Amino acid sequence: METQSVIQIKNLTKIYRDFWGRKKVRALNSLSLDVKKGEVFGLLGPNGSGKTTTMKLLLGLLFPTEGEITVLGKPASDVSKNEWIGYLPEESYLYRFLNAEETLDFYGRLFDMSPQQRKERSNQLIELVGLQNARKRQLKEYSKGMTRRIGLAQALINNPDLILLDEPTSGLDPLGSRDMKDLIVKLKNEGKTVVMCSHLLADVQDVCDRIAILYAGELKELGRVDDLLKEQHETELLTSKLSPEAVADVEAVLAKHNAKLLRHGHPTNSLEDLFLKTVQKSQERPGQRFVPAASEKS
Amino acid sequence: MNFDAKPFLLFSNIENGLMHWLLVFGSFIGVIFAASILISVGIYGVSGPVAVMGRVRQGLHDFLNLSPKRIWAISWLTIIEAVRRKALLVFVVFAFLMMFAGWFLDSDLRADLQVKNAVSFALTTVSWLTIPVLLLLSCWGIPEDIRVRSIHTVVTKPVRRNEIVMGRILGFATIAAAIVAMMGIVGYVWILRQVPNNASLICRVPVYGTLQFLDREGNASDKGLNTGDIWEFRSYIEGGTKASAAYKFPVDAPVDRIKLESRFEAFRTHKGRMGQSLLVRYVLVNPTKDLRVPLDSFEIKEFNLNEQYLERKLSFYDEVRMDKRTIDLFDDVVDQNSLTIEVQCLDSGQYLGMARPDFFIRLPDRPFAIGYFKAVLGIWLLTVFIVSIGVTSSTFVKGPVATLLTFSLLIIGQGFREFMIKLITGVQKGGGPIESWYRLVTHMNDTLELPDNIGIKIMQGIDNVMLGGLWLMQHLIPDLTSFVMAPYVANGFDVPWNLAIFRSLAITIGYLVPCLLVGYYSLTLRELEAK
Repeated sequence: METQSVIQIKNLTKIYRDFWGRKKVRALNSLSLDVKKGEVFGLLGPNGSGKTTTMKLLLGLLFPTEGEITVLGKPASDVSKNEWIGYLPEESYLYRFLNAEETLDFYGRLFDMSPQQRKERSNQLIELVGLQNARKRQLKEYSKGMTRRIGLAQALINNPDLILLDEPTSGLDPLGSRDMKDLIVKLKNEGKTVVMCSHLLADVQDVCDRIAILYAGELKELGRVDDLLKEQHETELLTSKLSPEAVADVEAVLAKHNAKLLRHGHPTNSLEDLFLKTVQKSQERPGQRFVPAASEKS
Repeated sequence: MNFDAKPFLLFSNIENGLMHWLLVFGSFIGVIFAASILISVGIYGVSGPVAVMGRVRQGLHDFLNLSPKRIWAISWLTIIEAVRRKALLVFVVFAFLMMFAGWFLDSDLRADLQVKNAVSFALTTVSWLTIPVLLLLSCWGIPEDIRVRSIHTVVTKPVRRNEIVMGRILGFATIAAAIVAMMGIVGYVWILRQVPNNASLICRVPVYGTLQFLDREGNASDKGLNTGDIWEFRSYIEGGTKASAAYKFPVDAPVDRIKLESRFEAFRTHKGRMGQSLLVRYVLVNPTKDLRVPLDSFEIKEFNLNEQYLERKLSFYDEVRMDKRTIDLFDDVVDQNSLTIEVQCLDSGQYLGMARPDFFIRLPDRPFAIGYFKAVLGIWLLTVFIVSIGVTSSTFVKGPVATLLTFSLLIIGQGFREFMIKLITGVQKGGGPIESWYRLVTHMNDTLELPDNIGIKIMQGIDNVMLGGLWLMQHLIPDLTSFVMAPYVANGFDVPWNLAIFRSLAITIGYLVPCLLVGYYSLTLRELEAK
């Protein structure tokens, strides 16, 4: 059965013009793509490739020069679609004079939520993003990471069906970044659709089902992450530790099948994994040193 | 007294007022709509008008589906923003001024003038401190939101653009109410402490009439004589002749006695008797019954108030019947709910000057606080007007330009509108801008005829186009003088609901509606990106 499209973009072109109406830059050129319900979709591309422009066009913050956009079955300019959308902007453009509770209460009011609903939802989200100890502090006193967290909380205030995240891990430390990615996966598991744009490829690879790669406003690649990354002409084997003799035997067997061993060695963890393990151990055993001190080494 | 409340009979003339507003508002909408259709055809061809109609339909939908909760949320944000950005510190400035203002107000003046100065100072200070703060807040709020893109997190919620404009206006109006109320109360207490022992705070309730002059032959005339003194506001009747000024006052239910109060000006052509002022007489007139009731003459108090009482039962010598008569003021003199009183100057060779508000029936006084807080309400209404214009202009231009635009409107509306009308109607001599420039360069004063040639005709043609623009402007820019109610209170009068409060309220609402419309479409049709 065909999965329902949450976002449909057809031949979308956006040209930025100057005050006199002269063309300044073509930010998007004939972009067409669909985002299906329940998937995590990544928009990738270098700076200036049109990711944020696409996101703003989806939200009706910018108007298309040409083409059509349908979000949740409604035109992008229709305000009523926003009832089911959550948006985390690239920078967390929040009101710096409000504290976390006031911020969430304010955005809750914009959804006509009752005071009780707002209070419950604010408490849930503050806990979710880990800002319990800073709930009464004005946002101007927040670090960038904390601002991203409260930004995410405001995007989720209405328990949206479609969540648009613009550079969601930007400004977050590896721990925060991991939390964000875990949250995205959790949202997907709850049946929500997530569209994120990022130039941090590892983040996208970790969480996205499908991606689109943009360059200079044009769509260059579109498909499932696994499919796009799969090397069709190579095979990967992962074994327990092999002796040099065993490696030589493997090479002999491969030669029999007209194949050769391209690379062998010990697999490495990602730096992110190492960092997270170290932090986790530190939390479990505070005060314990994992690396010998300089004096102990000597 | 040097002010004259302009008649504005809202409730008796509400249909005319509403029709006039609908005409202007309808024309405004019509012109914008026609221009939009033409421009859309020019840019998008046949699909242009369809898109315009789509926007109109969307606008109607958005205005019919407003959410009071969302509007109040935006207002709440506006209030919190103003408070956290320390806008209320203006109150500290006010308190500081009030602490030391007494040192600088002249305590050697006559007691009533001291009261007048104190009241004027308090109310003027409230206006001058509140208006700039609200002007800046309202003109910078939305542009700042767009600049730092915090508006992105609002418009990506189910918030309609008109809710943003309304919320902002409501929020700023609430802040203005808080500031004005606090300052008003402190100002009131300060005034009470400033009143000298030999003076009191009064709040007279006048009933003004219409004024008709009769010249020395007894013929009706719109104006009296011009003595070279104030001519536009006040004119004069000649003493010892048939010249008089007939005041026609509206009178409602009968009362036991009526208090009359006047303040006439004397213009002397000779000294007269030393120590004696001009002799004046009131004559009650009922034209229907051909009844003339001359009252006892009295000497006017120059530069001060004359107070007389009209008893319901009046005895007088009837010069026609040659007999003493007693009449009932309401049964015999009042004609069709109008009381006509002629004022005559009895000193020949002397002149008595008067204007419409120089003579009135004085109803029982009200507490001073009522008049004072009505004037405070007037200041608040003016700030609401400014906030509406400020927020609206900030939806299509940046903060500094919006501030300049709103400030210009305020200045023109309060001080230069009359001048614009004089220029348009030709009362102000010297022609349009190019003719004025030509006269300056060629040293021609404004009474000299210009030469009759093609160059002059072209110049006057261009001037006429410019004056046409000015004509349009004076229809768009409101008369904001009615918001200034301090003169009423400072001069010891109550602020009339019909003449001042309702008038200001009507102007505010009259402008608020198009402001909401312009603000809505301005935010809807633009991309909310900082540029």
